[in-house]
Amino acid sequence: MIEVKNLWHIYEGRKIALKDVSLTIENEILALVGPNGSGKTTLAKHLNGLLKPTKGDVIVDGINTKEASVAELSRIVGYVFQNPEHMFFEENVFKEVAFGPKNLGLSKDEIEKRVEWALRSVNLKGYEDRSPYSLSGGEKQRLAIACMLAMNPKYLILDEPTTGLDAKSAESVKEVIRKLKEKGHGIMLITHDMELVLELAERVVLLYEGIKVFDGTINEFFQLDLRNYDLDKPELLKISERLSVGFVRNINEFVTSLLRRMRA
Amino acid sequence: MMYNLYVERDSILHRLDPRVKILSSLLGILAMILFNSPYLLFILFTLLSLSLRFLGKISFKEQIKVLKPLTPLIIITIAIWPFILEPKTFGLFIGLGYALRLASMAMITFGLLMTTTQRELILGFIKLKMPYEIGLTLTIALRYIPTLFNLAQTIIDAQKSRGLELEKGNFFSKIKKTVPVLIPLIIASIKTAHELSIALESRAFGANKKRTFLYTIEMKGKDYIALIIVFLLFGLALYARYQLGIGYVKLY
Repeated sequence: MIEVKNLWHIYEGRKIALKDVSLTIENEILALVGPNGSGKTTLAKHLNGLLKPTKGDVIVDGINTKEASVAELSRIVGYVFQNPEHMFFEENVFKEVAFGPKNLGLSKDEIEKRVEWALRSVNLKGYEDRSPYSLSGGEKQRLAIACMLAMNPKYLILDEPTTGLDAKSAESVKEVIRKLKEKGHGIMLITHDMELVLELAERVVLLYEGIKVFDGTINEFFQLDLRNYDLDKPELLKISERLSVGFVRNINEFVTSLLRRMRA
Repeated sequence: MMYNLYVERDSILHRLDPRVKILSSLLGILAMILFNSPYLLFILFTLLSLSLRFLGKISFKEQIKVLKPLTPLIIITIAIWPFILEPKTFGLFIGLGYALRLASMAMITFGLLMTTTQRELILGFIKLKMPYEIGLTLTIALRYIPTLFNLAQTIIDAQKSRGLELEKGNFFSKIKKTVPVLIPLIIASIKTAHELSIALESRAFGANKKRTFLYTIEMKGKDYIALIIVFLLFGLALYARYQLGIGYVKLY
């Protein structure tokens, strides 16, 4: 469990980025949403120790991030950055994924096992000898996830994992996220893509100007008037609202409830 | 990170035309080469510092701050002369003079950068017949330093999240650890440069030989007066050095 307790963060130059934020994260798919500049990334960077609290505490499985290095925390919390290219430097996919486990000081056998497993988890088996830069957008994103998975973290933070990807690539990334959830990883999605939230998230935390304004289930979240927070509902929900078919998460659910309503 | 030395003030030096400041700086540096007498160089250095303080409103504290990185160079200059010249005390004396000359030249350059915005500076160089392309390249280079700095920070964060410990280890292992940061940084920089060149071309860069400028500079009365004063002072320096023989110590 990750516990964020009364977290404040003030950047140099006095900009207050987070004001008294508290929340807990368990093995679930949590969406951290909010408009640009609301403090999402600042909050996420506290979870693996990249930023340290100005005030308050972040406790990751009993470890206070103030007392641990990012390297130590990287065994527990994996952070997949928005632009995968910002981390690729090796000549091939295998070496790229092996970089993290190597830093953890694992044995050669264990590293190979982990790389194998990580690549299989993101459906990139057979790509070992390709250059990371030669992959497509979706493949790069999945490789970035694999790089973190190979370190076997309990929690995974994904910063805008589907932004800029075509439908097929986005779907492949979403599939990986669902699979990881089933395997018991806690996943935090940082996004302002409400379609993605509707499709994947179980719980939503909404930040606005550095303050946590909402923390609850996805159902409750979409009952808020999101325009107050510079966000908007997915089109699917707008239609289902107009037709009063209730809360649905995808087209299938929508069609089923619509048909049920029409029959009734 | 110090990527821009400009200090925002309202002073006579700040308001001067950049061309006047560029020419004056060049003449000032030349004047420093004329003399090698430590006494005279000390007087010149003091005058320089005082004029920056009172004409440019740059405090002594700020002046010391920009000169500080030069400390090793200044110490080496002082320390090396006693080995070249006999007697040793004379060598030290001359070394002190050369150190003051070095500090003065640096102070002139820093003075220019501290009282002139980058835009004015480049516009000044262009009006002094520097090719526009070089001016633009300079502007872009200066503009991208903070951007690249931020990018490097993001990359460092990403690699730290993968367990890279940049602070640990000896000198050589630390050098090796910069590779995971440098490679993504270089690749991203090249990509940015490529996109930038496309953006420039799509805005018709280089379509016309002659360019007009949105912001322009104009020599006013005070600029001409300043220029005349600077030339007179430089003339005076030449006269003192070659006609009166002031400020030169025979070394051998």
